[in-house]
Amino acid sequence: MLELRAIRKTFDDNAGGHWLLADGLDLVVAAGQTVAVLGPSGSGKSTLLKIIAGLEAQDGGQVLFDGDDLAGVPTERRRFALMFQDFALFPHLNVLDNVAFGLVEQGRGRAAARAQALDLLGVFGLHKHARQKVWKLSGGEQQRVALARALITAPRLLLLDEPFSALDAQLRASLRSEFSERIAAAGIATVLVTHDEGEARAMAQQGFRLDQGRLSRIW
Amino acid sequence: MAMHRKRIPPVLWLGLVPLSFLSLVMLAPLLRIGVEAVTGASGATGAMVADLWREDYLRWRIIWSFVQAGATCIAALVLAVPVAWVLARFRFAGRGLLLRLLMLPFVVPTLVAAMGVLALWGPHGLVSGWFGIHLQDTPWLLLYGNLFFNLCLVVRAGVDALGHVSAARVAAARTLGASPWRVFWRVEWPAIVPWLASALCLVFLYCLSGFGLALVLGGQRYATAEVEIYTLVAHELQLAQAGVLTVCMALLTALVALAYAWIEQHLAIPGRPDAIALRRPASWRQWAAVGGAVLVLGVFCGAPLLAIAVRAVQAGAPAWATVLEDDSLQAVGNTLRFTAAALVLAVVLGVTHALAARRSVWLRAAAFLPFVVSPVAVAFGLLLLYPQWTASLWILVAAYALLAYPFVAQSLGAALDQLPLHLTQAARTLGATPWRLFWRVTLPLVLPSLRRGMAFAAATALGEFAVTLFLSRPEWTTLTTLIYERLGRPGAGNRDAALVLAALLMLLALLAFLLIDNPGRRDGTRTRLVAGAAHA
Repeated sequence: MLELRAIRKTFDDNAGGHWLLADGLDLVVAAGQTVAVLGPSGSGKSTLLKIIAGLEAQDGGQVLFDGDDLAGVPTERRRFALMFQDFALFPHLNVLDNVAFGLVEQGRGRAAARAQALDLLGVFGLHKHARQKVWKLSGGEQQRVALARALITAPRLLLLDEPFSALDAQLRASLRSEFSERIAAAGIATVLVTHDEGEARAMAQQGFRLDQGRLSRIW
Repeated sequence: MAMHRKRIPPVLWLGLVPLSFLSLVMLAPLLRIGVEAVTGASGATGAMVADLWREDYLRWRIIWSFVQAGATCIAALVLAVPVAWVLARFRFAGRGLLLRLLMLPFVVPTLVAAMGVLALWGPHGLVSGWFGIHLQDTPWLLLYGNLFFNLCLVVRAGVDALGHVSAARVAAARTLGASPWRVFWRVEWPAIVPWLASALCLVFLYCLSGFGLALVLGGQRYATAEVEIYTLVAHELQLAQAGVLTVCMALLTALVALAYAWIEQHLAIPGRPDAIALRRPASWRQWAAVGGAVLVLGVFCGAPLLAIAVRAVQAGAPAWATVLEDDSLQAVGNTLRFTAAALVLAVVLGVTHALAARRSVWLRAAAFLPFVVSPVAVAFGLLLLYPQWTASLWILVAAYALLAYPFVAQSLGAALDQLPLHLTQAARTLGATPWRLFWRVTLPLVLPSLRRGMAFAAATALGEFAVTLFLSRPEWTTLTTLIYERLGRPGAGNRDAALVLAALLMLLALLAFLLIDNPGRRDGTRTRLVAGAAHA
């Protein structure tokens, strides 16, 4: 279970002032649950995900997982998978090695990691693209590769940062339901950040709005 | 409650490596020259500066140094802008190759360029043979040599700048009634001026601190202050006067370098979401423009290299036999040995500097210092500061590395800047430690740029001349010093041997560049041109 307690975060703006991004945020995400955080551009949604992942440091407050305070735990040891808006696939690696990346980092042998990645690519319908460079794939295919890469390491928490914003409307709708099914099947606690309320309602059991540094529950 | 104190990022400590090196090999020697200028003079330093200026001969050297740099800037601007416009706007067969060939002068050793200019315009050059005219003992020889190196730099800056001009703004200007010519002046020109100003500052600096071209092409009358410093130190042992002249030139150069830094800092580089699409030339005028651009590049940048090749072939077997002589083989061996040693040091310095410079604007600026400092001044300072080590090879290798490593640092730094943050963050969330992140993601992505920087560094070290001339011992003769030595001997045989050795050096530099840069590998990573060249 993920728990955020009184998270505070400010940014310095160019004019020498401070910009309040999080003002005592509290949030709980139970195992197997998907929680959506909505808000306009620049409201700090992505920063919130980075704080959870350990990529940004908060000014105050605690990030806990299963009761453990994660202060001082580096990103790579949190076992939280973050899926980026632009997928962040590694251009120097092919599809297979992108998906196997996290397994290799966990100490799995390269051959075993590739075999497991190949299996997962089969489940995702990307088997035939395994040896292709990622930038040769379509947007939807890249999106699936990014999800496969995130799920293969069996992360404790999945963080989705505007996962469908780079796709066209038709593809977005079909991938949304596919993703929901796969995430539910994996049973992973998930935080979804989006500005699209329809998307959030379709995927999440709870929804919050982030505005002026505070979270308010929508459903 | 988790509180996070700001601390110095560990990667910043890496900066101590290049900073210590810069302090020992560049700053301390320059300071030592300043001390020599103050304490070594028999009279007050102020009086020596006044004497320097009162003496017609030295005053002319200083004035001419600035005049030739300024004249090169003006000529480069006039020639480069139309060429850059043609290359940035028209698509034609060979355009890509031409853009790649613009890098060639950055690889060509100074002395090879000087030999090329002589092979074309010298008393025994091709033009002299065909038309009976030559440019020896005129200022044009040096200006032509300067243009060979610097025209390509300004053209590249112009092409890059024009590539950033917004297509929407040009279209808007056209719909508001502006002719293509008016569009250029009112929309394109204002957008590219900062880029050109930046490039011209560099050109000015290179011409001011250049040594090899001025030594070989300037002759008695048109040599620059850098050549005079060398003469005062190496031939007249007037160290105090050389020190005063060096300090004066360093201060004047620093002013131009500051102007360059200011322009670079204010040079906004916007994205290029709506770059103007290339089009095929559609009229005879447009084809003529393309032809004119190719002709200008051919005359100023291609002809000297072709002239060397032609004259080297014409030199015949006896001249080529010199390549197999003992001193030539020793020079080739030394050149390769020193280059390899300098390259290893340059990579260590360049990588540490680039990594640390991501966290510090000052460190980033420091990587540029060796580009603008005069190699003559550095070599002179090293001689003064470390007289006990002048017989040791490390001082020569360190000086080589000083001139070469900024290429690695700049090229790698630009690639690191362009590395999307999301990729590194994604790797971290997938379990990669900082070291694994560097090894598995960062390094593979920046490797092409690192190799490019290494290629320029190797070319610089291979063709190094100024420092070698100052610090070299007879047993350390390199190809550049051997060429210069041959040029100084009388007779056509020596001249031909120098030409052949220059051709050999050119081939070596090209080979090293191609081997390291590995043009076969292209992954779409666009590296920004590292401004700077081995003009010393």
